[in-house]
Amino acid sequence: MEETQVLHIEGLSVSRSGKMVISDINLNILKGEFVGLVGPNGSGKSTLLLAILGVLKSQQGTIKIYGGKPMSKSILGRIGWVSQAAAVMPKNVRITVRELIQLGTLNSRNMFFRKRGAHRERVEQAIKMVGLGDVADRDIARLSGGQRQRAVIGRALASNAEFILLDEPLVGIDREARNSLLKLLDTLCHDENKTILMVSHDLAAIRQTAHRMIYLEESIRFDGLTEDFPDLKALAGLRGIEPVHGHEHEHNGKQHPPSITIKNREEGDSNGEDE
Amino acid sequence: MMGLGTTILDLVGPVMEFIAPIAPGETFPYFFTMEMFQRALVAAILVTVVAGVLGSFLLVRNLALIGDGLAHVSFGGVAVGVVLGASSPLWYALLFSVISAILIHEMQTREVLTGDASIAIFLTGMLALGLVVLRVFGGGITSDIEGYLFGSLLLIDEQSLDLIATISILSLISLMFLYSGLLSTTIDPLAARVQGLPVRAIGLVFSIITAAVVVSMVQVIGALLVTALLVTPAATGQLVGRSFRACLIWTQIFGISAIFLGLYLSAEYDSGSGSMIALVAALIFALVAISKTVLLAIIKPKENL
Repeated sequence: MEETQVLHIEGLSVSRSGKMVISDINLNILKGEFVGLVGPNGSGKSTLLLAILGVLKSQQGTIKIYGGKPMSKSILGRIGWVSQAAAVMPKNVRITVRELIQLGTLNSRNMFFRKRGAHRERVEQAIKMVGLGDVADRDIARLSGGQRQRAVIGRALASNAEFILLDEPLVGIDREARNSLLKLLDTLCHDENKTILMVSHDLAAIRQTAHRMIYLEESIRFDGLTEDFPDLKALAGLRGIEPVHGHEHEHNGKQHPPSITIKNREEGDSNGEDE
Repeated sequence: MMGLGTTILDLVGPVMEFIAPIAPGETFPYFFTMEMFQRALVAAILVTVVAGVLGSFLLVRNLALIGDGLAHVSFGGVAVGVVLGASSPLWYALLFSVISAILIHEMQTREVLTGDASIAIFLTGMLALGLVVLRVFGGGITSDIEGYLFGSLLLIDEQSLDLIATISILSLISLMFLYSGLLSTTIDPLAARVQGLPVRAIGLVFSIITAAVVVSMVQVIGALLVTALLVTPAATGQLVGRSFRACLIWTQIFGISAIFLGLYLSAEYDSGSGSMIALVAALIFALVAISKTVLLAIIKPKENL
């Protein structure tokens, strides 16, 4: 069980600048799964990813990756982070695909002393896997959005990461590139036995490839096989009966005494002065 | 004890004298024969090489103006040093610059102030400190002080050359070791962190190197003109190079050309060396940028630039 369980999250709550963004998350991801994480803007998808990476601290609950805590030494290198190339890659740098993918082989031990041509095979293999052999020595600024995203994935592959997290990789790339990118991810999952957790807005695209879907909106509203994922109507219903909204309405009415009463008193005072 | 600078000078001295007969102009050949000018040339070349490498990273990190900021801070340090009667005010500049660089870096990573604001505050604050201290306790802006503002090769004595050479060589070695880690954290800090790289420590060391290199440049090109060697050659290199490595090489070519051409012109026309180097660097940039645009328009007239 230890070996097959990649990610284990229990009772996780994370707040950002004082506001609870995700709460009571329970999640298990097993080796070889391709999980699609979907949800509207601001639903906490990125927060969950950043918490898994260890960038954001959790208020409650535990996260275990391969049995270790986020950012702990034993798991670094087993996780690959694929940022959204369209948003993250600096525009003003001249760097070739090969130079970028080579950076994936760095770690804290080998960053000072790099042997010439070290990890060359791994780099070449990663270039091949993402299908950028023809443009390996081209400046990434001259590539299409899809190719650039592939290069970023190649960087994660060069690090030999087994668990790959992707943040909106389909943003800023055209239809054809999107299809081939999804095919690439599918291959990585089936042939290379990588575990994939991918965040996306593109519900239709992600349903084509992911085995399992998670719908997140503050908490997990749906977690199950892709074929069981609710259709648009049912999804609307799922979001409509959100307890979040229900609570707030109640609060405005009766509960939440402290803030309401203070507000009332202040209003009363100012009214009195006015009169 | 012989310092690093004088050692280098002893080593390259004979080579320079060998070149002297083919150096053009009337005054320019003195740069290869007279020790005072030799010192200046060696210092200028050392500083340009390091500045080029450093500038390439600064440019990608969107920190093009930090050099300017730290140079003003260094000037504040020089002023304090001069007033206190220091034999080598550059040490004060180094202290001021390094502390400011660390504080600016911390303010930026802790998001106390974003972007250039923290640089702007240090720049003006320390420059003001320098000016006030000079006016109240010193003799105001003397020609010596002006040398630090606009660069004066005559200021570079043996002691200065030793300091400049030590900073340059140490920085160059550190940058070579940091090269991959620095590139990685520059391009995608989060990915670098997930890979286990010490992103913050790398940033801090980089800031300290920047501070030291800027101080070493103050005498050569002047506090007000530091950016000309730090950023302009690197920006020109980016117009031509297709990979990070290629950009680094082009940066060196443009930087060294600016130094030789600038020194030649300033020697022949008796203009300030720092300003002439900066002017030449800017002209090279303009020339390359214009020819690139024209060439692209001729070769690929239908492509959107």
